[in-house]
Order: sequence, then C-alpha cells, then structure tokens
Amino acid sequence: MATTTAAITLTSADLLTDALSLSATNTLYKAGTTVGLDQTTGMTKAYLTATQNIDIFPTLIEGSMAFAGKSSWVYVCNKSEDETEYATITISGNIIGKLYAGDYLWMPWSQSEDADSDNLHGDIELAPSVATGMWFEWCMINEGTEYPDAV
Amino acid sequence: MAITAGLTLTSGADDLTSDALSLSVSTALTKAGGSTAIASTSGLARKTTVSTDQYTLYRADDYATVTNANKVYLKNTETASPALYFTVTIDDEPMGRLYGGDWAFFPWLATNGVPATFTAAPTLSWGDATDQIVFDGVTVVLGGSGSAAMVDAMVATKYPNWTCTEHDSVTALYTAKDSNILYQIEEGTTADQFVVTTAGSGVITTARVTAAVASGNDIKITPSTTGSHTLESMLFYE
Repeated sequence: MATTTAAITLTSADLLTDALSLSATNTLYKAGTTVGLDQTTGMTKAYLTATQNIDIFPTLIEGSMAFAGKSSWVYVCNKSEDETEYATITISGNIIGKLYAGDYLWMPWSQSEDADSDNLHGDIELAPSVATGMWFEWCMINEGTEYPDAV
Repeated sequence: MAITAGLTLTSGADDLTSDALSLSVSTALTKAGGSTAIASTSGLARKTTVSTDQYTLYRADDYATVTNANKVYLKNTETASPALYFTVTIDDEPMGRLYGGDWAFFPWLATNGVPATFTAAPTLSWGDATDQIVFDGVTVVLGGSGSAAMVDAMVATKYPNWTCTEHDSVTALYTAKDSNILYQIEEGTTADQFVVTTAGSGVITTARVTAAVASGNDIKITPSTTGSHTLESMLFYE
C-alpha cells in the first residue's frame, strides 16, 4: 500500500504570550478507508508570464464521476521571491485566497459530480499578479483519476 | 514577530512513485505584499458538532481588509472512524473533505458583504407610556408620549444584531452588524420582526434603505454524521 505522509508545523515564539508549537501529521488515505492514496499528477514547476487564470490540472476531468466522493489533496506554492507578487487561487470561480511569495497551500479537493455543462465545476485555477514572470509549483495526490479521451 | 509554517510531504521509493517523495517547504506568515509578520490570530479553537447542519467557522465580515494574506489551519480530530468527515466550503463552494486526522492549510481572502439598513417609523398613536416594541429579542418601552419619544427610546437601546441611530426626529435607522442578515424587517408577530404592543393605534412602518449582500466567502463546515465530532481550527489574519 502506498504510504504518503503530510505534516505541518506552525511555530512562533512571539505571536502570543505563550509559544506556539503546533504540529499535525496524517497519512493520505482513500476516502473513508485506511488504504493509501496511490495516484499523483506529479510535481509541476511552471514559469507563468501572464496574469490570466489558468487551470492547474487541465488534463483531468474535474467533477467527473471518477472524482465524486473521492479524496484528493492539492499542493500549490508560490516560488516568487518578490514579496509583492502573489497568486490568486480560485475553486470553481470562487476566490479561496492569495498566495504571496513563498506561501503555499495544502487543501483537500473532494468534488461531487459535475453538474455544469462547461465542466468547470471544481476547477482549481491560479492567476499570477504580474506578467513579468513568476515561478510556481503544484501537484495533486489523489484517487479516481480520469483523463479525457483523445480527439 | 514571526510565525513559521512548515510543510513536509513524504513517501518512500516504489511507494507512491518509483522515486521517493521528500518535499519540504517553509514560509513565514507575513502581511500582504510585505515582510511584516501577521500579528493577529483567532487562537487555536475546537468546534464540536452534533448534527449534519452547516456551521459557520469564520465570518468574512469579521476579518476583511482591502488586501489580506490570511491563513487558515483546519484539522479533523476524529480518530475512531476514518469514514467521518467534514466538508469544507468557501464562498458556499465545496472545497473538499477532511476525513479523520486530515488537516489543511490555505490562504483566505476575506471580503466584506453589505449590511442591511432600514428605517423604522413609529406612526399613528403612541400615547401610552407602556407602549412597547420587541425587536431582535429586546423590549423597548416608550416611557413617554409621541413618535419622537419612541424613536428616542429605540435609539437609546442596545441590540445584539443591529445598531440604531436617529434618521430624523420621528424615524430610526437600523444597520445590521452582520451582512448575512438577508430578510426584510417588518412589523409582525415573529421574533425576527417588530412586535408592537400599544394601548392605541401605534404601528411601526419600515422601509428598506440598503439591501444586504452576504459576505460570500465565509468558511463553513458540514459534518458527515450527527455524532459528536470535533474540528480544530486556527486563523492567522491581518
């Protein structure tokens, strides 16, 4: 069984009167089981030179039955070193938040079956704040991958 | 001041893929567009749910700034059954499910909604000192005579979900504290309306001034079962 582990540490010596030292670790399982997630898109490293939204998992049929009720995990990191540069992350057109230089996200992505004819339901999109070039990394670890048929 | 958030993703060789996965990334949580550390936090909190109702975890109204680099940490603390999950939604869009032991860390752009405002005018006969209204769970007693005196009493009263100012001498202006109050306020008999009790013919006439627009990107959770489940959360905000 594939075993993939995700761990986070949140630390601060001076945010609060008491030190913050929070850690959490979990093994990535298929939905509702203790069977490890065994599929991944692999890590993408991209240099984006436009501010338009891009679909970061374009080769997957998001919202397909293959994803319905399944467990998927998404990692996105803004590798820019300019603290003013950010990426706006959206899901199905709704803004989640902004990743500033060095920021990352780790979020679940469990979609229901696509109810929209344009198949945009659940798309995770990224829009750089500048067109002068920004580096990003992203990947997904998941189950239930479905790819479009070749045309 | 500094807050550090570190993430590691690991998997052995020939496990998830042929090569081992060993990703490690760390970031300092700073305010938008600068190097100043985020200085505010909701604190580490736990929410125990006992139904499959949707719960609002963080209201965008409470954390909105023009630009913000807020970060949210969530963890499903359940360990007994891996099948129990919380569905996390943002802007009423399902983001994903947190099964037992799962955690998430993501940015959150909190944006303000538009709170409702309306005028309320005591009209016709308000002549008895015991005339009263009940609104937002609060009883306002006239204590004098006339519409202007009633408006003074309404303005002087503190309400849990509304603020009240004088629109003019015979009209009060109510403003919602929360943009998620979307219903129209009128005189009536239910708890979300003006309930009027007068010795004479006094009524409250309401008129909408501003229609509410909900702060759409509240963060909400929906448990998968009615059992007692606990979600841990922490918000870092500007």
